[in-house]
Amino acid sequence: MRVQVNARNRAFHFEADNGEKILYAGLRAQAGLPYECATGTCGTCKARLVDGDIDDGWPHAPGRKHLKPERGEFLMCQCAARGDVSIEVASFVYPADPGACRVGARAGTLGTPRALTHDVVAVDVELDAPCEFEAGQFMAVNAPGVPGMRGYSMVNFDQPARRLEFVVKKKPGGGFSEWLFSGKPAGARIQMVGPLGKATFHPGLAKNILCIAGGSGIAGMMSILARAKAADYFSKNKVHVFFGVRTMRDVFFLDELAAYPKADITVALSEEDPPANARLRFERGLVHEVAKRAMAGKYRDVRAYLAGPPPAVDAAIRVLLLDARLTADNIRYDKFS
Amino acid sequence: MAKRMVCRVADVPENGLKECEADGGLKLVVANAGGEFFAFQAICPHQEVPLCEGMFDGSTLTCHMHLWQWDVRTGAPLGIAEAPLERYPLVREGDALYLGSEPTALDVGELFSGLAPATLEKLASLARREEHAAGAAIYQRGDPADDFLILESGRVEFQIGRDPAGFMLKKGEIFGWAALLENHPQRIASARALEKSVVLRFNGKQALAVLESDPASGYVVMRRLSGLIARFFVVAGAK
Repeated sequence: MRVQVNARNRAFHFEADNGEKILYAGLRAQAGLPYECATGTCGTCKARLVDGDIDDGWPHAPGRKHLKPERGEFLMCQCAARGDVSIEVASFVYPADPGACRVGARAGTLGTPRALTHDVVAVDVELDAPCEFEAGQFMAVNAPGVPGMRGYSMVNFDQPARRLEFVVKKKPGGGFSEWLFSGKPAGARIQMVGPLGKATFHPGLAKNILCIAGGSGIAGMMSILARAKAADYFSKNKVHVFFGVRTMRDVFFLDELAAYPKADITVALSEEDPPANARLRFERGLVHEVAKRAMAGKYRDVRAYLAGPPPAVDAAIRVLLLDARLTADNIRYDKFS
Repeated sequence: MAKRMVCRVADVPENGLKECEADGGLKLVVANAGGEFFAFQAICPHQEVPLCEGMFDGSTLTCHMHLWQWDVRTGAPLGIAEAPLERYPLVREGDALYLGSEPTALDVGELFSGLAPATLEKLASLARREEHAAGAAIYQRGDPADDFLILESGRVEFQIGRDPAGFMLKKGEIFGWAALLENHPQRIASARALEKSVVLRFNGKQALAVLESDPASGYVVMRRLSGLIARFFVVAGAK
C-alpha cells in the first residue's frame, strides 16, 4: 500500500505492508513522523485521513482522547492502511537524520526473567539479527497472545546489540507485564518495532548530564551510563543520576549503579528514611525534590534526561524549566501517557 | 458591538494562567504577568493541549506537553516552538478585563508581529484586502512577483516548483515573498484558495521603503524572512 503524508512543510511517500501501522511504516522509510509513546497512549502521532481507508487496531486506545474523530483524526501508531491512503499531519516533518539508527521490525527470543524486586523483573531478548540503537531509546514490544505493543527502554548498550535487556514493572491490567509475570514466558517469540525515542545520549554532546528517573524509568539511564563509560565520558563531564523509588523494598540495580564510581548517584526514597551504611548516597524525598536540592547552582551546561511515571516526569520538567532555567531543547524525555 | 467581558482581574492569579470564555464564546488563556494581563488562543497550536495546564513564570509561557514556549508579551515562539500564539488585546476597566479590538493578520503574522507600532501602522496602510472564492488561483508560476500576501482568514495552499504537495497556510502567514527579494521578478510558486479566503496584498517595493525608514524593524523582518525561506527548502538536520 502506498501512503502519502502531507506535512506542514512537504509531502512524504512510502510503502506500508499489509497490516503494518502507518507510523511504523513511515519511520521505517526514514520519515520523521511525530510520535512519542508509539503505543497508543500519548496522542502525539495524531493524523487526519484525507483519502482512502484505514483499520484501527485499538479503537479504545487512551491516546484517542486527543482526537476529533468527526474530523477524520486517528492515531498513526494504531492504524494500518487498507489500500492506498493520503493523510495529513499538522506539524513540520523532516526526513530522519541519515546518521540515526534505522527503525524496523525486529524479532527475538525471550530469556528467563530475573526478579529485581517484588514487582520488577529484568528480562533479556536474544535478537534474531543484531540491531543498532542509541542510549536512551526504547522498543515497542509485543508478546504472543497479548494485543498491542508496549514501550520498554533498553538497559544495556552494545553496538550493535545481539541482546536487548529490559526492565518490566508488574502492572495490574498491563497486558505485557501480566503475561510476563504469569506462567513461564522464557523461550517465547517476541516481536518488536524500533529503536524509537528522541531522549538519546551520544558522547559527542560534551555536556554535563543530569538523569532523573522514577522506578523502572532507570532502565534508559543505565544505557546512558554504559554508553558514557564506554566513551570515557566521566573524565571530562559531570554525570548526576537521581533514582527515585518508594522504599528500600522497591530499589534495584544498586550493584550496577555502584559500578560507576565516577558518576554522582543519589537514590531518593519517598516513603522511608535512608538506610545507614549504604554504598550509594541515599536521600529522603520525592526524586525531583531531592534533585532540586542537590543540583542548586550546578546547572551550567547541563543536558537533562527524564523518565518514569508521568507525574514524576512533569514535576521534574517544572523544576528544570522554572527553577533551573534549562532551555527546552536540553530537557529530553519520551512521554508514555 | 457590545463590550465582551473576558474575566475578572481577581480570577487570574499573580504570575498565573486562567482559561476564560469571553462573552460570545471565545475561549482564551489569560496570563497575569505581574499585574499586566495578556490573552492568547486557549489551545496550543502544536497538539491541541489546553495552555492553562501549562507553566508560566511571569514572562515565558510553556505548554507542559512538549515544552513549546512563547514570550507572553508578544506570543512570539521561543526555543523549540514552531508557531506563534495568537494574541488578543485586553482592555482593563475597573476590576474586569474586556476584549480589545481583534488582532489583524498583520499583528499575528510571523513576519511583522512585534514591530514598532508606527512602522506597523504604515505597513497596514499599504494593505489591500481581497476575497478569493474556494478553488480560486491567487497567482500562478511565471506571474509577475510585485506583491506579497498575508492570509487573513480561510485556507491557502502554496506550492513551490513541481512538488505536488503544497504547504497549508494559516492566518498571519505570508506567501509570495519573492516580492521582497531582489532579482525575483516572477513567481516560482503558485497559490490557491482552498476555501473562501481573505488575503492582504502589499506591494513589495512600497513595503521595503517603509522598512528602510525603520532599519531596526527592517532588520528583524529580513531575519525572519530568511528563516522562513530556509524552512521551505532546508529539510535535513532539523535539530
